[in-house]
Amino acid sequence: MMLEISDLAKSFGPRVALAGVNLIVEEGEFVILLGPNGAGKTTLLRTVATLTRPTSGMVRIAGSDPLKVGLTVRQQIGYLSHRTLLYNDLSAEQNLLFYARMYGLADPDARIAELLERVDLADRRDDLVRNYSRGMQQRLAVVRTMLHRPRLLLLDEPYTGLDPLAADRLTELLTELSEEGCTLLLATHHMGDLAAVNKRAVILSRGRVIHDDVIADVAGFPALYRDLVLRHTSDGGATTRAEPPRPLPVAASGPSRPRGADSLPGFLRQVLAVVAKDLTAELRTREILSAMFVFAFLAMLIFSFALDLRGAVARAAAPGVLWTTIAFAGTLGLSRSMAREQETGGMDGLRLSPADRTVILFGKALGNMTMMLALEAVLVPLSAILFNVPLFAPGVLAILLGGTLGYALVGTLLAAIAVNTRAREVMLPILLLPLVMPLLIAAVQATRGLLEGLTWTELGGWINLLVVYDLLIAAAALLTFEYVVES
Amino acid sequence: MVQRQNRVGVLLAVLSVVAFLGALWMVFGYAPREATMGDVQRIFYFHVASAWVGFFGFFVTFVTSIVYLVREERHWDIVAASSAEIGLAFITMTLLTGMLWARPVWGVYWTWEPRLTISAVQWLLYVAYVMLRGSVASPEREARFAAVYGIMAFVTVPLSWFAIRWWRTIHPQVVSGEGMAMTPRMVRTLLTSIGVFTLVYVTLLRQRIRLALAQDALTALQLAQES
Repeated sequence: MMLEISDLAKSFGPRVALAGVNLIVEEGEFVILLGPNGAGKTTLLRTVATLTRPTSGMVRIAGSDPLKVGLTVRQQIGYLSHRTLLYNDLSAEQNLLFYARMYGLADPDARIAELLERVDLADRRDDLVRNYSRGMQQRLAVVRTMLHRPRLLLLDEPYTGLDPLAADRLTELLTELSEEGCTLLLATHHMGDLAAVNKRAVILSRGRVIHDDVIADVAGFPALYRDLVLRHTSDGGATTRAEPPRPLPVAASGPSRPRGADSLPGFLRQVLAVVAKDLTAELRTREILSAMFVFAFLAMLIFSFALDLRGAVARAAAPGVLWTTIAFAGTLGLSRSMAREQETGGMDGLRLSPADRTVILFGKALGNMTMMLALEAVLVPLSAILFNVPLFAPGVLAILLGGTLGYALVGTLLAAIAVNTRAREVMLPILLLPLVMPLLIAAVQATRGLLEGLTWTELGGWINLLVVYDLLIAAAALLTFEYVVES
Repeated sequence: MVQRQNRVGVLLAVLSVVAFLGALWMVFGYAPREATMGDVQRIFYFHVASAWVGFFGFFVTFVTSIVYLVREERHWDIVAASSAEIGLAFITMTLLTGMLWARPVWGVYWTWEPRLTISAVQWLLYVAYVMLRGSVASPEREARFAAVYGIMAFVTVPLSWFAIRWWRTIHPQVVSGEGMAMTPRMVRTLLTSIGVFTLVYVTLLRQRIRLALAQDALTALQLAQES
């Protein structure tokens, strides 16, 4: 048995999305999931894909509980969402290479070339996804879904945006996968897109299964579907007893599915994959760095006008001006970096991969820290020139490193929160700046102390505070990040 | 059941009013006049008590946020949200009474004295907490994000306290609130004030929780009607 769902319920606050779904899918089956808008199809697929935690009930994938062995289960699932889960600022090949690293594929180049060929995107492999048409993005998203040879494919409206030719090709591809033994659960509104005969149809309405049977009469099925849904909704939502799933012939087993990697990918490799992905996207667009540089330079100019930073005043104020500028410019980078994840559902892509949630935290934080350090590499000499202060001391650089680490960690955690709020453009600094107050005070005082000629021993209190802050924030972020990225 | 709950609420409200009147009498009639600062020192009993309740409210938010993340039960989130809102109201009172006290005693409304500064940082932290809660569409996400922020906010408060204290020690304070000798009557008045403010906190917390539960029930009814 590939998938077993029993009494699955999911509520979003008082709104009930799934109200006790029972479903058994055997290995190699091709199941079409149907239902009106708001019936719970997407919630069901997201819950099976481990992206949404159920309120109650049980899901077993190949006999395993995803809540207990999430990494192993996620390695076996491919999920196509409403969103492409692709990064617009990367090429098709870079996107697939990133996911291949996250899944630990043994020979990613050959697999990527083979799949791109099958969906007619081999010629456009180096183009930015941003420049793809909707249909091309959808084809690439399908490739991303099957890149790691999953045993269970969950497809949510895969025909969206495809032209008739591409839709036919997709149907061929899915039929082929099914014949090879892959289990498919496909949610759709358009029965005409599928060669539906002899496929099992499961109809959801108001979070319940109201029909579960093999489609024998394809021509008559749309009328049956409308009748069933109308009857269920006109009952005022009364529970219609779901028909027990009929025993179905298990699809003929195809050749055994090759596994990309024998062991799960390493933590460090996944962290570095996230960092590399962020830096590659940034090198392509230079959006974050240019925005941070220009903003930081403007801030320094405004500070120098406002505070008349000359002579002794400049030397006294330089550490404060430097750290304030870093903190303000840093929020721009943190916001943009997380917004990139949000644009096309990249965060879901990360959460689907067989990686611990802390991989996302450390990967994103390291990427953000690298960009902030790049900013500081320009800001420090600029401040030294503008304010005539010797900022190149090794001690100052160590403080910059320690302060930036804490700032990037807490900033990444809060950016992941802020990007999901309605006021996302303004929320990050409001959340972040009160939390980094001790870090900023310690960093400014330690930098000032070094410039005034104090020794490391004399600065011990500030350095200790900085270290304790970094450790405490790292521990708190590690413990809580999972709850931030959960949906 | 509801009637009994209402009776407890009414009883707590009456008790709070009576206790508050008693505390007012102690502040203005029982506690002696402070020799240096005069009558303005009496604001101290409200200032310290509201600071205590504010901090206690944030502590309750911290603890219930952890419990919520572990157990994912809605009522813990309601307690966390309610306590943070009430704590914020009391910290606002701390800031205002602190400024009213500072003006006649030190000649300025605001001084970067460590306790006032840390109250300002706390105020900003929990304003951000309340803003965050109002800015998330999904109730589940709101609860989780707020719980994470409630934990992070509380754990950084001691670090902010050390940072601000050391910072003000390095740069000598122009004014200082240290050294006010307290007589036994003053101590008794202060302790009573703290007790009464805590009772007011409990009363408000209970009412706020009931309000949130009523809001939940109303939303559920509206959804049932819509479907």
